[in-house]
Amino acid sequence: MIKVEQISKSFNNLEILNNVSFEIKRGDFVGVMGPSGSGKSTLLYSISQMDSVSGGRILFEGRNLSEMPEVELSEFRLTKMGFVFQNAQMLKNLSIFNNIILPGLIAKKETVHIIRERASKLMKRMEIEGLEERDVREVSGGQLQRASICRAMINNPEILFLDEPTGALNSAATDQVLAILEDLNHEGMTIMTVTHEPRVAAKAKKVLYIQDGQIAACKEFLTVTDHERELDKWLMELTH
Amino acid sequence: MKLLLNLVRKDFKRNKVITTALAVFLVLSALMMAGGLRVTGAMISSVKGLNEMAVSPEYIQMHKGAFDKEALDHFVEIHDYIKDSLTVKMLDVRNANFIYQGETLEKCLMDNGFVVQNNGFDFLLNMNNEIDVVQDGEIGVPVFYAQELGIKAGDVIIVHEGDYRKELKVSTIIRDSSMNSALASSKRFLISQSDMAEISSYMGEWEYCFEFLLKDGASTSVLAKDYMDAGMPSNGVGITGSILRLMNTFSYGLVAFIIIAISLLLIIISVLCLSYIIRATMSEEHAAIGAMKAIGFPEKTIEKLYQIKYSILLLAAAVIGYSAAIPFGDFFSSSVIRYCGSGSGEWMKWVFPFIGIILLSLIVLLECRRIIRRNLKSTVVELMREEEQIKKQGHYSLPSRGLKYRNLTIAIGELKCRWKEYVVIFLVFVFSSFLMLLPLNMKSTVENPSFITYMGVGQSDIRIDIQYTDNLTKQKDAVTSYLENDSEIEKAAIYKNGYVQSQNGLGEWEYIRVENGDESVFPLEYLEGSAPVGSKEMALSYLNASELGKKVGDSITVKYQGADLIFTVSGIYQDITYGGKTAKAAIDFDENDVEVYIVYLNVKDGVSIAKKTDELRTVLTVGKITPVNEFVAQTLSGIMDDMSLVEGTAIVIALLLIILITVMFLQLVTAKEHSAIAIKKVIGFSNRDIRIQFGIRILVIQFMGIVVGTIFANSLGGVIFGLMLSSMGASKITMLVDPLTAYLLCPAAQLLVVFITVIVGTKVVEKYHIRDQIME
Repeated sequence: MIKVEQISKSFNNLEILNNVSFEIKRGDFVGVMGPSGSGKSTLLYSISQMDSVSGGRILFEGRNLSEMPEVELSEFRLTKMGFVFQNAQMLKNLSIFNNIILPGLIAKKETVHIIRERASKLMKRMEIEGLEERDVREVSGGQLQRASICRAMINNPEILFLDEPTGALNSAATDQVLAILEDLNHEGMTIMTVTHEPRVAAKAKKVLYIQDGQIAACKEFLTVTDHERELDKWLMELTH
Repeated sequence: MKLLLNLVRKDFKRNKVITTALAVFLVLSALMMAGGLRVTGAMISSVKGLNEMAVSPEYIQMHKGAFDKEALDHFVEIHDYIKDSLTVKMLDVRNANFIYQGETLEKCLMDNGFVVQNNGFDFLLNMNNEIDVVQDGEIGVPVFYAQELGIKAGDVIIVHEGDYRKELKVSTIIRDSSMNSALASSKRFLISQSDMAEISSYMGEWEYCFEFLLKDGASTSVLAKDYMDAGMPSNGVGITGSILRLMNTFSYGLVAFIIIAISLLLIIISVLCLSYIIRATMSEEHAAIGAMKAIGFPEKTIEKLYQIKYSILLLAAAVIGYSAAIPFGDFFSSSVIRYCGSGSGEWMKWVFPFIGIILLSLIVLLECRRIIRRNLKSTVVELMREEEQIKKQGHYSLPSRGLKYRNLTIAIGELKCRWKEYVVIFLVFVFSSFLMLLPLNMKSTVENPSFITYMGVGQSDIRIDIQYTDNLTKQKDAVTSYLENDSEIEKAAIYKNGYVQSQNGLGEWEYIRVENGDESVFPLEYLEGSAPVGSKEMALSYLNASELGKKVGDSITVKYQGADLIFTVSGIYQDITYGGKTAKAAIDFDENDVEVYIVYLNVKDGVSIAKKTDELRTVLTVGKITPVNEFVAQTLSGIMDDMSLVEGTAIVIALLLIILITVMFLQLVTAKEHSAIAIKKVIGFSNRDIRIQFGIRILVIQFMGIVVGTIFANSLGGVIFGLMLSSMGASKITMLVDPLTAYLLCPAAQLLVVFITVIVGTKVVEKYHIRDQIME
């Protein structure tokens, strides 16, 4: 589905990504790990083209995103990608519900009725029903993060990008979010997440370890059951 | 201190756009303040200098006809408060008798006369403010004509009557302390004694000005009363020095007044912007302030840090503003200097602006300190309050039918929630729109044909003045019969004008000009009451009614030919002609007492007013024939020249203001909303969408600002114009707006300027990298 070919990214003469190549298949759950400043978040933003690359290509279903005009790219992001960040980013002058449905209304792919219905279903599934009219500052971090997953899902995207989705959450909220991600992936959603938590990465089918702007190692898990222990062992090997 | 300056330098570097915009605001305020005061200083020095050098009279009584010289001398002798007196003999000559560059002066509204240089006082001065002397065959031309017609030394003016023709070489341009102003309806040409004797034998009518200088502490009203009581010659108006000074101040002071008014408004806007910027910058730097406090910076030092930044900016603005005010002020005071010279108190134009700049700096600094202190005191609380404020902003709802116009809906929604942030920019838009429209509306009001109703007469096309002739009645009859037989004339009415005496509120007798004619032909809109009907009613002009203390229904006693005539005041109307003091009543003036016959006429549809005027000028050579719109324009030419001068400046300043405020505002608002911009990009809004949303928000605010500014310019503008004209006799002015300019061109120009500024100013949105915003 996504083919990353030798992408590089430098900023102020500092090379952050260096000739990175890999592939994401439909239905994949890719976890990106690595030490701080290794370039893992930059990789996510580069693939989703929220940040430009200095070299290389990103092919999404055969289309080169790095050459796509900005307006088309925005439309592409709107309909085919969903984003979730460490701190749930919401528009402060809209209620939770309106924040969730806004991308759907902009996309205009479906009727308002369908969008609203989907938003309600998503909220129910994320167990945040009843918060529709709440202000974004009136809910907990976990609730807000689940709301931002709802927003990311509202246009039935083809891939979900997550940047440290549980970084600001407590343990219980983290468990809730992870369960949701696992469910979504089971239903066929392609997911790519950047994380420093093995607990999160353990849910992935494929883990990329980034170091000094390059993929230092890649681990694919054959089973979908708990492979946290296996991952820990792999990480220990990598860091020693 | 070095550390402070380093911090300030870094801050300037970091906020280049905002700092530059703020600096321009402050420079503009300083420039306008210093410029306005420089014009004021130059004007005071100039008018004072002219009055001193020319030794202006303190009381002038005009008179036509014979008089008893001995009685007048005796009157002066027995009143010891009279310091000096003078009888100026002026030879009134019809404008058709003057030829300059092949054309007569008929198109000029001024009454022109010849005089010789006076002895003792009321001197006519040359352009070096020296008492002027002309030789035989030479003529000194009033500076008014040098300005209006471009007459210069070396040119030739021909005076002619029948076969008589005399060429006079312009030897000098003269300044006349009594009749310099465009608002004074007479102008004096200086010639030699022998030329005067020669010309007077062929043309003209003698008019006398009895002029007086009073000893210190003596009042002109006492002199006026004694003069009347003694039955001294007074077939004409009496003018006090204060009226002359008022006319001069009005003519030359208007520009200074407008510039100072603009500067005051600019200062308010600058302080508003400053307060907005300080609050915006400080709220973003709460963490830094906290850190400074934590490492032991005393609050005073932090206060100083912020204050020093704005003090440096202010100091730079003050120096630049003061320096720029020199050419700026000189440009706007060039007119008064041309008319009156530089004067004796030139220090004023240096000291006044300096004081103004100091005052401006104090106002800004104090306001700055107040805002900084308020922000510093409640750093933590303020942070909490900020949260509260965002909560208070509230939500907007997305329409249940979907987003048909997504950018419009989002922009309006956000505007609804954050309207408080837009108050400053809204006020600037209101102000700039008002600033642009006011001079434009004043001009269109004066240029509108119905403005004549403020001149004491109903709307008409052409005016004919018949005066200065030995055979006034015969000439009047000739004009009337010609007009009666002219099939192109729709209607005409003749008005007989003369003077009667009336007692003012202080019990002093003064002359008022009364018009007698059919008031129904060209009906006039009355402020109160209605036109006089029959022989027992009199309508008074607004100024007359105020000064005489009369209301509609009151009775008024006037003296004519020694007899008391009692009238009831039927109405009050506005009139800015003849010093604003006129009346309308059916007084049957003796033919010898008629000052002037004025004919108003309308031409039929399809007949050109200009062509008809030319035709009448050829046929009716005795009358002064003026299209009414030209009459209005010339009467107010002084004001309108000044208005035209400030009009251009006002437009430039207004446009500059809106560009500056838009740039500054966009800079602040995009920085403040960086996270919202990032979120919008994430959820699929393009850069273009986000820029459009900013554009819509600002243009909507600007549109509202323009609407309010336009309403103000029409309503408040009318009041301001009324105030300006109230000293002339019109107090209630309805602005007559040119819809194309006021409602289309002007708003379009402002919207276009802001539109372009938004295109340029929102380009910064593209540079926001989502990653940077999210990671923050």
